[in-house]
Amino acid sequence: MDFSFLLDPYYINILLQGLLTTVILAVVSVAFGTVIAIGVALLRMMKSKIIRFILGAYVEIIRGTPIVVQLIIFYSLFHVKVILVGSYDLSPFIPGMFTLFINSSAYMAEVIRAGINSVDKGQWEASRSLGMTYGMTFRKIIFPQAIKNILPALGNEFVTLIKETSVLMYSGVAELTYQATMIKSQTYGFMESYLVAATFYFLLTYPTSQLMKRLERRLAKSDQS
Amino acid sequence: MTNHKLIIDVKNVSKVFSDGTLALDNVSLSVKKNEVVVLIGPSGSGKSTLLRTLNLLESPTKGEVFFDGISLTDETTDINLLRQKMGMVFQGFHLFPHLSVLDNLRIAPVSLKKLSIHEATITSESMLKKVGLLDKAKNYPNQLSGGQKQRIAIARSLTMSPEIMLFDEPTSALDPEMVGEVLNVMRELALQGMTMVIVTHEMQFAEEVADIVYVMDKGQIIESGSPEIIFHQPQTERCKEFLKRVIEKK
Repeated sequence: MDFSFLLDPYYINILLQGLLTTVILAVVSVAFGTVIAIGVALLRMMKSKIIRFILGAYVEIIRGTPIVVQLIIFYSLFHVKVILVGSYDLSPFIPGMFTLFINSSAYMAEVIRAGINSVDKGQWEASRSLGMTYGMTFRKIIFPQAIKNILPALGNEFVTLIKETSVLMYSGVAELTYQATMIKSQTYGFMESYLVAATFYFLLTYPTSQLMKRLERRLAKSDQS
Repeated sequence: MTNHKLIIDVKNVSKVFSDGTLALDNVSLSVKKNEVVVLIGPSGSGKSTLLRTLNLLESPTKGEVFFDGISLTDETTDINLLRQKMGMVFQGFHLFPHLSVLDNLRIAPVSLKKLSIHEATITSESMLKKVGLLDKAKNYPNQLSGGQKQRIAIARSLTMSPEIMLFDEPTSALDPEMVGEVLNVMRELALQGMTMVIVTHEMQFAEEVADIVYVMDKGQIIESGSPEIIFHQPQTERCKEFLKRVIEKK
C-alpha cells in the first residue's frame, strides 16, 4: 500500500476541498430538509384527506426508493445549464442539493411526525380543556415535549446524510468521494484513496453521533428531574 | 337551590363512535348553578363520554349541549372561549411534564387571559394554597405523588376561575391512601358553592356531596334523583342491580 500521496500538498488540497464540500452539503441539506420536513409533518396533521394522502405518498415514495436513482431522475429532469461562479461550475449542485433536500425531508418528516404522535393524547385534551387553541397547544404543550424525541433522531439523520452526500459524485459534484476517485485515477492507488475517504467520513460521523448520544442522555436526564 | 340559572343543558344527545358503538343513547340532563351533579354507573355505561360532551371533547352525533344558553355545536360558537369557563380534571391528571407546577398553573391564564406573569403568579399561588401544595410550586410533575398531581390538576383548572368543574373519575388512578386528599379538595370546592359534574366510583362520596345523582347504563340515564332516593330507595330494577353489585364489591 502506498499512502505517499498524503504527503503531497496537491492531493491534500483536493481532499480537503472535497471534505469541505461534503460538510457544506450535509449541513445545508439538514437545515433546509428540516424546514421542509416540519412543513410536511404539520400539513400531515391537517384534516384534509387529500393533503394527508399526497404528503403520505411523498414520504413513502421517497423513503422507498434509492437515493442514487432519485438523483439520476432529478438530474435528467432539470437539465441545468452551466453556472459559473469564478471558475467553479455550480450547475451539478442544483439537482444534487435538490435530491438531498427531498430525501432528507421525507425521512425527517417521519421522525417529526412520530415525535409529535409520541406525546400522550391526554396532553392535548388537558390543554384544550383549559381553552387553549389548537395552535397554542401545539406550540406550548406538545412541541416542547415532542422535541425531546425528535432531536436525537434528527442527529442520526444528520449522520446518515453526511454519508449519503457521496451519491452526488454521480452528478459531478466535487465532494469527498468524487475527489477520492480523482486521486485514484491519478495515483492508481485504488484502495488507498478510498480508505482515506472512508477515514474522513468516519471522522465526521463518529464525533457527530457521540455528540448526539450525549445530547440524548442530557434530554433523558432533564425528563426525570 | 335559590338560584335556578341553568349552566349546562344537554338535550337528547346521542353519540356513536367511529367503530359503531352507541355510547350515548338519547341522553338529557341539566345542571344548575351551585349544583353538584354526580354520574354513576358500571364501566362502559357512557358516563365519561357524557361528561366529555359537556366541553365538546366528544362532539355529539345527535342532539345539542348548551352552556349558559349557548349551543356548543353552533358554528358561530367559539368553543375555546367557553372551555375557559369550564374546568376539567382527568383520571390520568395530564399535568404538563415539561413545566414546573407553577407554570402548569400559569400557562393558561397568561396565554388566554393576558394576565401579566406577576398577576398569574398571585392567582396560581393562592390556588396552590387552596389545595395545600404551595410548597411544591417549584417542583416538576414527576416529582409528585398521584394524589398531589391530581390536586395540582384541580388547581390548574381553578386558575381560569371556571363557572363549572368537570371531574372524570378523578380518583380512579390513585392508590387507595391518596383518594382521601383529593376528595377533600373536591368537598371543599362543593362547600364553596362550585358547580360540579363528577363521574366517580366512590359511592360514599357521591352520596355525601351530590345534590342530584344520575345513574347510567348502556348509554342511557336509567334513574336520577337525590342521593337519599338513589342510594336507599332506588326505583328501577337496573339501578338496584347496579348498586347491589357495587356494594358487594366493597
